[in-house]
Amino acid sequence: MPDPTTSSVETDGRRTLVRLLRAAYPHPRFPDGPYERTADAILAQAADSLWHRLVLTEGLATLDARAAAAGEQADFADLDDEAALALLRGVEDAEFFVLIRGVAVVSLYDDAEVHRLLGYEGPSFEQGGYLHRGFDDLDWLPTPRIEEYDGPDQLVEVAPDDEPTTAPTQA
Amino acid sequence: MTTDHVDPDQRSDAERLPSRQDHYGASIGHDEEVVVIVGSGAGGGTLAYELTAKGIACVVLEAGPYLMPEDYENDEWASFQQMAWLDARTASGPYRVARDFPNLPAWVVKAVGGSTTHWSGATPRFRAYELKTRTYYGDIDGANILDWPITLEELAPYYDRAERAIGSTHRHGRPPLPANNNYKVFANGAEQVGYRFYATGPYGTNAEPYDGRPASIQDGFNFQGDKSTAKWSTAVREVPRALRTGRCDLRPGSQAVQITHDARGRANAVLYVDKDGSLHRQAAAVVCVAGNSIETPRLLLMSASALHPDGLANSSGQVGRNYMRHLTGSVYARFDKPVHMYRGETMAGIIADEARQDTSRGFVGGYYLETLSLGPAFLAAFVDPGEWGPGFTEVMDAYENTAGLWIVGEDLPQETNRVTLNASVKDQWGLPAADVWFQDHPNDVAMRAHGFSRADMLYEAVGALGVHHTPPYPATHNLGTCRLSERAEDGVADRWGQAHDVPGLFISDGSQMTSGAAANPTLTIVALAIRQAEYIADRLAKGAG
Repeated sequence: MPDPTTSSVETDGRRTLVRLLRAAYPHPRFPDGPYERTADAILAQAADSLWHRLVLTEGLATLDARAAAAGEQADFADLDDEAALALLRGVEDAEFFVLIRGVAVVSLYDDAEVHRLLGYEGPSFEQGGYLHRGFDDLDWLPTPRIEEYDGPDQLVEVAPDDEPTTAPTQA
Repeated sequence: MTTDHVDPDQRSDAERLPSRQDHYGASIGHDEEVVVIVGSGAGGGTLAYELTAKGIACVVLEAGPYLMPEDYENDEWASFQQMAWLDARTASGPYRVARDFPNLPAWVVKAVGGSTTHWSGATPRFRAYELKTRTYYGDIDGANILDWPITLEELAPYYDRAERAIGSTHRHGRPPLPANNNYKVFANGAEQVGYRFYATGPYGTNAEPYDGRPASIQDGFNFQGDKSTAKWSTAVREVPRALRTGRCDLRPGSQAVQITHDARGRANAVLYVDKDGSLHRQAAAVVCVAGNSIETPRLLLMSASALHPDGLANSSGQVGRNYMRHLTGSVYARFDKPVHMYRGETMAGIIADEARQDTSRGFVGGYYLETLSLGPAFLAAFVDPGEWGPGFTEVMDAYENTAGLWIVGEDLPQETNRVTLNASVKDQWGLPAADVWFQDHPNDVAMRAHGFSRADMLYEAVGALGVHHTPPYPATHNLGTCRLSERAEDGVADRWGQAHDVPGLFISDGSQMTSGAAANPTLTIVALAIRQAEYIADRLAKGAG
């Protein structure tokens, strides 16, 4: 039984947490940094809440126990991607994992390094927006019309069969 | 780094803090009976300008702070924390938002300018049949359909004025915005599948300088306020102009908590708490409520009195009912080449071909397709809430090569879709929070499925490798909870937005919409407010109020 009165979750737990985040949010292009920062955000939240700390400590310990029960010769943190993912699928609705995902989905993708890795350039106003920095640089399709259509077709607002020719239906 | 658009403001951070003044503009006494406007968004901000320009004194009570363009953040979560309405609220009912975002039924703004601060900018008009849904759709099981007491013909001149106020592109000589990358994918796909009625607007952001504001710099942060002010909002146009008349007293940080009436039943004051929690009473000749479709019915329900035991102006029982949030869904398509959808005006791409009444498609009403982009932070949170694992990260990994669009269509009013007071959840003032209960109508489900299938075809026609269907977000279009009706027993307010039951009380926002139509609602809210201001000014001039 893990002891939440010690700081074990912040040391042993962090390694497990980083592994968990990589398995749950696998991005081969991402280095460890974003996952470590996300793990720290989760630990910071746990530090602010006794309940979250209890849930997280127990949950991470459960992962190792489940890995052992599944006959793995390793801690959760040592599992390969496929085994780690399968194990996480089994705890999808567990409170600790819901808690982790709630922080991770915000923290991991609100990270300047991640933005760069995904090809997102972030704040733009101070650089004059994208007006001269590629807002229209897509060149693999023709440049389309930007004005409204002025050809011979008319938009038929109400199909002929939908004109209320008789008195409207009453309740 | 260009310096053209960098703010030269040299004030200290403290001076730039939001809500740095208790009030702006004229000083109007609390016992002066003036027009009191609750809210400063599309409805309230427009009313404030239109009325003060006609010489009528107004007090504007705005719950949020007065953010200036330089306060806006080019950062999704920081901006969300800065301006979203995050006071206690609950979502309930079978819709997915209640599960994924139980405390965020709506994504609306709490600041001067209201949700025009973060609106995208699309300004289509309602169509004639959309104001006569009972006539055209008939009686549909489970829906509570009613014709508006106003026709498109009556609204048309006010649409003209609203488009000029907003500076809508493609209208009244305003040029179109150029095609950004997301639009190039969208419009080419549209052409491929045979759509004709697509363009980069009409859209409420300047393609060239207009009305004292600059042209778009395509910065891509429409939803976070627009630091450049190229985008119209009441925060950058109507509210400053109202203040300059010397007849507008704007009080940010003022949450209206009750509307009172005199012995004869006429609205006579608004009680509100300031940012320190002190309660004030502002006397009123006329009260205009424009708090968006959740706060507006909440305020009426909190204003129950001996004369109005079920909530103010609620003899019909319709206050809070018929809540509409538009039929929505998003599609994100992955390609093998870069798109960079986030560069440029977020929603400057509109397809109108499906915005029509044609029941051979399997549903009544219509919808628009509009370009949409989220940054990685919001895309992760909203693309498929709660999702994780390789299927989720595949979507995120494709970010650079992704194009996005939004389906926005008419959802049917249902009496059971409803804003009520949640007795067990209180806001920071100890007042009952609003609960929003919502369930899709089968017509909504059929329309969404059609929209998804058309969007898939559109993107596949230009080579999409895969598409992802995103469920509705917390609602940005909140409508219908104090609807207009010809007869007092069918709705809350009359053809001018004046409450059937309470003289001197006006509904002035999207709450008054009898049906929601397919169009983004802001233009129509502004048009209705300009029209209502004329009516109020005329009544006051005749001494009738």
